[in-house]
Amino acid sequence: MTMQAMIDEWYPVGLISQLDAGGRRTALMGEPILVASDIDGKAKVTGGNGRILPVRLRYGHVWSSLGDPKNELFPIPEADQPGRRFVDVGVVRVRCSPLRAVENFLDIAHFPFVHTDILGAEPHTEVQNYKVEIREDVDEVWATQVKFYQPQAAKSASGGITTEYMYRVPAPTCSVLYKTCPPRPSEWDVITLFVQPLAEDICDVWPWMALFDDETSLTDLIHFQQTIFLQDRSILENQIPRLLPLDPGMEIPTRADLTSIAYRRWLKRHNYTYGAQLVAQ
Amino acid sequence: MLADTTGSWTPVALSADLPAGTVNPARIATESIALWRSDSGRVAASADRCPHRGMRLSHGFVRGEAISCIYHGWSYAQAGNCLRIPAHPGLVPPETIRVVTHAVEEADGVIWVAFGTPASIPPKLDGFVPLRSLTILAMTAQIEAAAGAVANSEGLIESGTIRLLLSTQHEGETLVHVLVKDDADVATRITASRTAENLRRTAEDLQGKGSVQ
Repeated sequence: MTMQAMIDEWYPVGLISQLDAGGRRTALMGEPILVASDIDGKAKVTGGNGRILPVRLRYGHVWSSLGDPKNELFPIPEADQPGRRFVDVGVVRVRCSPLRAVENFLDIAHFPFVHTDILGAEPHTEVQNYKVEIREDVDEVWATQVKFYQPQAAKSASGGITTEYMYRVPAPTCSVLYKTCPPRPSEWDVITLFVQPLAEDICDVWPWMALFDDETSLTDLIHFQQTIFLQDRSILENQIPRLLPLDPGMEIPTRADLTSIAYRRWLKRHNYTYGAQLVAQ
Repeated sequence: MLADTTGSWTPVALSADLPAGTVNPARIATESIALWRSDSGRVAASADRCPHRGMRLSHGFVRGEAISCIYHGWSYAQAGNCLRIPAHPGLVPPETIRVVTHAVEEADGVIWVAFGTPASIPPKLDGFVPLRSLTILAMTAQIEAAAGAVANSEGLIESGTIRLLLSTQHEGETLVHVLVKDDADVATRITASRTAENLRRTAEDLQGKGSVQ
C-alpha cells in the first residue's frame, strides 16, 4: 500500500445539504474524520488528531484531503450551466476497493447482465469500438464515442435507444459520465461517481447528477440511480481479490475493457495505488 | 475426506440440492468453488472466480451446457474453456481463457469433488442414502464428541442408526451430510433429522465452551 501519491487528492466526505453542527463522523483513508458546520455555518473537517483539514464545497458535496492538495478540485463546467437540475443521490456503502468502484462505473459491457432491461438487455451485448486516451494537458483519462443499446437509458427515456457515452477520470476515485440526454439531443446529461475511500477495501459512493429533466420527480430520479448502484454493489462485493489488481497477469481484459486498461495504466503511472494490489497473491 | 498421496475427494453437496440449470458455491479444502449442473444434468466444478474481472462464478447462471459469469456474461464449458464473450459476439475466445476445473463424481445421491488427483474413486455408502445436509459451527473433534464416535479415514461417523459424512469448511464450520438406511421409513427419517439437529446443538455448545477456555 502506498498512500503518498493519493493523500494529496480531494475526496468527497459528505453532502453540503446535510451539513450540521453535530457533524458526520466518517473516515478518510483509514483516518477518522468529523465533517460539521462551525458557529458561522461554514464547513469544517477535522482529522483524527484534531487537525483542521482543507475544505471545498462543490458539486453538492463537501470535499477534503488528508494531505496538501497541489491542484484545485477538478472542474465540471456543466455544474454552472443554467437550466440543469442538480441531484444529490446520496450514499451507497460498498465493501470493495474505491478503485474497483470507479472501474465498474467505466464499464458498459456489464449492462445487459447486471442492469438487465434498464441499461442493457440481451441480445444487445456487443461493445463497439470506441476511443480512449490519456489527455496529457489535463492529465485525465477520457473515453469517447462509446455507444450502447439501452432499453431504458434514463428515467426520462421511453423505450429503447442507442445511447452515446463519454467518460472522464479527473481524479483517482472520481469519474464524470456524459450521456445522451433524451429530452435535449444537443446536450449531454452529466452523471458523476464520487468515491470516498474509507479504507483500501471499503468505500462510500456518492453519485451526483446534473440533468436536463424537468419532468421526473426527485424521488424517482434518486430511486433510479439507487437501483443501479445497488445492482453494481452485488458485483463489487463479490470480486476476488477485493483490491484492484494492477498485475497484468491477474485478470484478462478484452477490447471492450480499453477504458479500464487506460485507467489502470494511469493509476500506475501516478502511483495511485491506495486500494490496488500490485503483485499477484 | 478420503486422502491418498495424490489428492482427496470432498463430499461437497447432495445431488438433490443441485437441480439441473443451477449453480451453488461450495468448498474443497481452503478453496471456494462454483458447483453447477447443466440443463442436461451433468455436474461440474470450477474455481469460484471468473478470470476476466475476478467475479465469483457461483453468482452466475447456467444455460444449456455452460456456466456464465453474472458480471459480463462470459460463458465456460464443463472443461473450463471460455465459449463466449458477449461484448464481442463474433470472437472465438482463445484457448488461454479458461477457469480451473476439478474432477467431479456423483454417486448414491452425493456429489464429490476432487482436490488434486485422487488415485481412487469416492467411498461407497454401503446401503445408506443421503437425508439432508446441515452446517455445524464446530470442528470435527466436537462433532465426534457429540456423536460419541470417531470419523473413519473416509470422514464417515457411525452414530446409532445414522451416518454422518463430514466436510471441513472454513472458519470453524463443518458441512455434515446426514445418511440413513436406504429402506428407512418416514418416521425413521424424521427421527434421524431431529437427532442430527440435537447433535448440532451439542457440538456447537462444546465448540463454544472450547473457545472460552
